[in-house]
Amino acid sequence: MDLTLESHIQLTAELPGHDERAWQVAWNPTKPLIASCSADKTVRLYSYRKDRQDPSKTVFSHVTTIPTGHTKTVRSIAWAPSGKTLATGSFDSNIGIWERREASDDDCDPSGSDDWECVALLEGHETECKSVAYSGTGTLLASCSRDKTVWVWEVQPDADFECMGVLMEHSQDVKCVAWHPAEEILASASYDDTIKLYVDDPSEDWYCFATLSGHGATVWSLAWAPRGDYLASSSDDLTIRIWQRTSQYTWQFIHQLKGHDRSIYSLSWGPGKGTQDNLGWLASTGSDGKINVWEISQPSQRGSSNPTLNSRLIASVSSAHDVHDVNSVQWCPRSGFEDLLSTAGDDGLVRAWKIIPSSSRE
Amino acid sequence: KKSTRKSRFETGQSLWVDMDDCQDTSDGSDVEPIDQDEIFELIRSISDPEHPNSLEELRVVSAEQIEVDHNHIMVEFTPTVPHCGMSTLIGLSIRVRLLRSLPPRFKIDIRVKPGSHQSELAVNKQLNDKERVAAALENPALVETLEKCLETAGSTDHSD
Repeated sequence: MDLTLESHIQLTAELPGHDERAWQVAWNPTKPLIASCSADKTVRLYSYRKDRQDPSKTVFSHVTTIPTGHTKTVRSIAWAPSGKTLATGSFDSNIGIWERREASDDDCDPSGSDDWECVALLEGHETECKSVAYSGTGTLLASCSRDKTVWVWEVQPDADFECMGVLMEHSQDVKCVAWHPAEEILASASYDDTIKLYVDDPSEDWYCFATLSGHGATVWSLAWAPRGDYLASSSDDLTIRIWQRTSQYTWQFIHQLKGHDRSIYSLSWGPGKGTQDNLGWLASTGSDGKINVWEISQPSQRGSSNPTLNSRLIASVSSAHDVHDVNSVQWCPRSGFEDLLSTAGDDGLVRAWKIIPSSSRE
Repeated sequence: KKSTRKSRFETGQSLWVDMDDCQDTSDGSDVEPIDQDEIFELIRSISDPEHPNSLEELRVVSAEQIEVDHNHIMVEFTPTVPHCGMSTLIGLSIRVRLLRSLPPRFKIDIRVKPGSHQSELAVNKQLNDKERVAAALENPALVETLEKCLETAGSTDHSD
């Protein structure tokens, strides 16, 4: 813990249970639920609530474990914006779509466990699926793979999915896909060191309208700013880059962050808590086992010829998963929990963390 | 004759158990320094995928090509020919051998000797991409080949 920083990152809960490396965590956007996926081929679900005695604390409890049926590592998970559907992307190259089975009339299973069923299996990728993501409205699902492609699927009623496009722009594995929070703009990050941006041409198909180059190694993760005017990317080159939208279809490199000494595997950009005057909090983590939280803001004088962005490290914790790599970090998207983070590590653990102002430490 | 020098990091989870090793290996939490010779000892007898020789005999690996700095290990290896198609497999076998033998606190980087391979950057990139390594280790055909290379690891009977 760095006492010179204005906040610290406090461990709130430790959620064991995976037998192997945990790859990703995903907070449900509407319900107090968090999911994690692992090389052990399962997805684990936990519920959480504020402690009745001490509302500053958050209490987690295991809800269920989905065996998934994937034959290899479950690498990626994503909730639909409705919070009702979960997608899993696996090294077995398939994507699973999961929904909670409606309670039966006699309601014989009040425990609520073991009732997530696979409602669709999306086949198409030739090799490992590495990332899945739902668009802001939930009408589209994107996936990417070592087969160098990005697929855009339309989500139709009754768990039907239609492939709207197969984008073959990258020259190497695609590591991550991320949708703009409000518009139907898709970003992908790759082992070829670039980031690509795509939109749907109403008269044609999905196409790539921009390539963001600058990283000197694999781009692992992407995170859109909550307002959608910036995109952050993290890389094996040990840097985080922030790209600014300068016109509808133009994105420019504006800012670089350094603070990790091994590959940066994951980013999450949340609104932050009690911070209306800035662009939110960007969390980063990776192979060095560190979690960094940066406050991103615009300088006060705007409209100058050289646009700039400010970043300030407000909290950091080392050895967040003991000696292990940390593979995923995500801010809780629910109102009232903006200071809650979770991480997944090579130790198979999921951990939840809270950002606490250092001045309020006891 | 059996080699007398064994790494203290040899534990039950490694591929083999050396009955001559009388050192106490039960306490994995003990933070002991480790040097390049101990790392070399772990990888010298890995078999080359294409030759009936060990990586040491083919001069693919050597103690001088290993750097240990605190919990970071860098292993450099020299492919036998600059177009060696087996380089990623050799690098992967070194990585898996170390993953299975060393405590998890070690971060391991593997690279080919600079200038020794025509696809040096591509080989290095692949060997150090954790996601690709993880996926490779779920490929049964590849794992079978890998286990053959690792069968001889730890047995130094034929080295002198």
